[in-house]
Amino acid sequence: MEAASAVGIARPRRRRRPLKVLSPYLLIMPGGIWLIVLFVVPLVTMLSLSLQTCNLGTGSCTMTWHWSEIPNQLSLYHTQMLTSLYFAGAATLIDLVVSFPISYWIAFHGGNKKNFFLLMLLVPFFVSFVIRTIMWQFILSDHGIVLGSLKSAGILPQSFHVLATPWAVIIGLAYNYLPFTALPLYVALERIDHRVIEAAQDLYASKRESFLRVVMPLAIPGVFAAFLLTFVPAFGDYINQQILGGASQTMIGTVIQNEFLTYLDYAGGSALSVVLLAIALVGIFLYARVLGARTIEEYV
Amino acid sequence: MDEEHFDVDPAILRGLTEGRLSRRDMIRYGGMAGLSAFLAACGVSGSSNTSGSSGVGSASWWAKQKLHHKVNFGNWPLYVDVFKGNHPTLQRFTQETGIQVTYTEPIQDNIPFYTKIRPALQAGQYTGYDIIVMTNNSPALGFLMNANWLVPLDHSMMPNFDKYAGPLVKNPSWDRGNKFTMAWQSGWTALAYNSSVIKEPIDSVQALYDPKYSGKIGMMADPQELGSNALLALGIEPAKSTPSDWAKAQAKLKAQQPHVRHYYDQDYITALKNGDTVISMAWSGDIFQANLNSQYRDLKFVFPKEGAMFWTDNMCIPKGVQNPKDAMKLMDYYYLPDTQAVVEYYVDYVCPVPSAKHVLLHPTGWAAKTLKMMRPSIGLPTSVTADAPTVFPNAYVIGLSKPYYAYKNQGQLTAWNNLFVPITQA
Repeated sequence: MEAASAVGIARPRRRRRPLKVLSPYLLIMPGGIWLIVLFVVPLVTMLSLSLQTCNLGTGSCTMTWHWSEIPNQLSLYHTQMLTSLYFAGAATLIDLVVSFPISYWIAFHGGNKKNFFLLMLLVPFFVSFVIRTIMWQFILSDHGIVLGSLKSAGILPQSFHVLATPWAVIIGLAYNYLPFTALPLYVALERIDHRVIEAAQDLYASKRESFLRVVMPLAIPGVFAAFLLTFVPAFGDYINQQILGGASQTMIGTVIQNEFLTYLDYAGGSALSVVLLAIALVGIFLYARVLGARTIEEYV
Repeated sequence: MDEEHFDVDPAILRGLTEGRLSRRDMIRYGGMAGLSAFLAACGVSGSSNTSGSSGVGSASWWAKQKLHHKVNFGNWPLYVDVFKGNHPTLQRFTQETGIQVTYTEPIQDNIPFYTKIRPALQAGQYTGYDIIVMTNNSPALGFLMNANWLVPLDHSMMPNFDKYAGPLVKNPSWDRGNKFTMAWQSGWTALAYNSSVIKEPIDSVQALYDPKYSGKIGMMADPQELGSNALLALGIEPAKSTPSDWAKAQAKLKAQQPHVRHYYDQDYITALKNGDTVISMAWSGDIFQANLNSQYRDLKFVFPKEGAMFWTDNMCIPKGVQNPKDAMKLMDYYYLPDTQAVVEYYVDYVCPVPSAKHVLLHPTGWAAKTLKMMRPSIGLPTSVTADAPTVFPNAYVIGLSKPYYAYKNQGQLTAWNNLFVPITQA
């Protein structure tokens, strides 16, 4: 369209036009290359690999459009998929319940120390999350500093244990992903115009009513963003389960890791990854349908 | 579909799950045409040996090789004699031949080690090892053979092997004519129990499936071991089993699953020692070693009446080898009865050299001196090792030894894994 209108315009300006047309593309090029190289290529490789048939020995794969691999893997590992859904869902719920008051308090009562409080939320992230999780294993071990002393004090029975139970994994997930819930919630709550709440009170809304009918609806996009940012990575997590969980709580992330590294089944591992990705995409799609795509970028 | 194939570094494939991506490789990848074509075209092809060394391992190739007076030997942990931080058998080898041995213990498990050396093999490069040790019950050894990544041995350099190797390891079913391998040690996978807890005598694999021991049963996570055990429990010879037998074995293991404490790797022995389990699938040598400590005398290894799976760890030379002659010398040296006697006194797995038994009972020369030197640290007389049926098997236990199923093609291996792996990942 620009080119068509340019035809009638005087000649001297013409020389500069190619660059002008290209400049937006040049400007997005670094980001675009980044996205293609580090996101699109691995993604397509994974999709492609899930449809290939691989030689387990040499690792060489040929494309066979082997669509049945996906339902096949699902039938083998649907239990682990459901376990992961349950663990990640429970952890996300805990995170929402725990971080809502925190974010609310920082947003409405943090005063000029808001940034300090946010930093405090992020401080644990200065240590690798594997190391933090191993520390939890140490703290929660059957005869460790917590359970050991409670047991020797006779408060807990000797056979009581936290590690190797579903709760250990859920708590580990909730602990590790808490900031991913708290920060989007904070952003949503922080941007609520205080005058709106004042207006509600002017109209004789009780504190409870103004919270439920003014603050909550305005915070909903933040809750959804927090849900996505917590649930999706927790769903694919395999560290917490391996460090804190036991034999009967295998999550799908561990299964995929084993398929790739222990059994060299690259096609199977890719097929499960595709399922994982599809579940995440469905979540994002629903989010976009309900709240509009614009809000994603605002909270992420 | 495009016929083109591209090499993909396994690091990339690992990167898919570990988030560890090599950017350089990805850029190389990214340059490849349109995405739809790419989707079809990226057959990840493993070229077998690109170094153009078709003659590797042939008589003329061996004739051209020279001794380099050094050799790199990669083995499993705690699998050779140790005395005060040294390995007496290796020291003697260096003294007699002038060949320096770099002995390392990088192999914790067959497949992970195989994936570590595979990129080098694919590129036709040196793996860093002149000798590696792979188990015949793992698919990894078959992978190495099928891909033509092992150097055929020089049979003119195996005089000790020809003279002393026992019938269990000579001309074995997994490597006819010992074309590529010589056994390092063998062992059985069967079961062990804690006799201080379980008072009744146990003589059957069925005990592992007895709900009486619910919550205290240890099984192995390795799909080959797990599946074979269930087949034995069903009274089926694993080597002669059919895919429909495998399905029955899977059903048996599924029924057992609620009673199993854990599907263990190497750490099953710790669980058995500390009482987490009272009955467990077990390797013969581990239990024998544990019995050396008076604290664990109650652990008993069982040769079940249904049979015990017999496996062998095999020395082999991966392609790209730099010191093949030195490697041959070292491998053959381990078939001297003197050498094996000293190894066995420490290791206690199945000895590939039956006549080492005689050396343990009546040692002379270097062996006598070395065994005497090791005696205080081992704590038991050499006759205990010599008389152990788990080290020098008698006719009865040889009769009970069962071979593993040999997969006829990859489809069978995949089918087997798809049946038994999900059980271990409940």
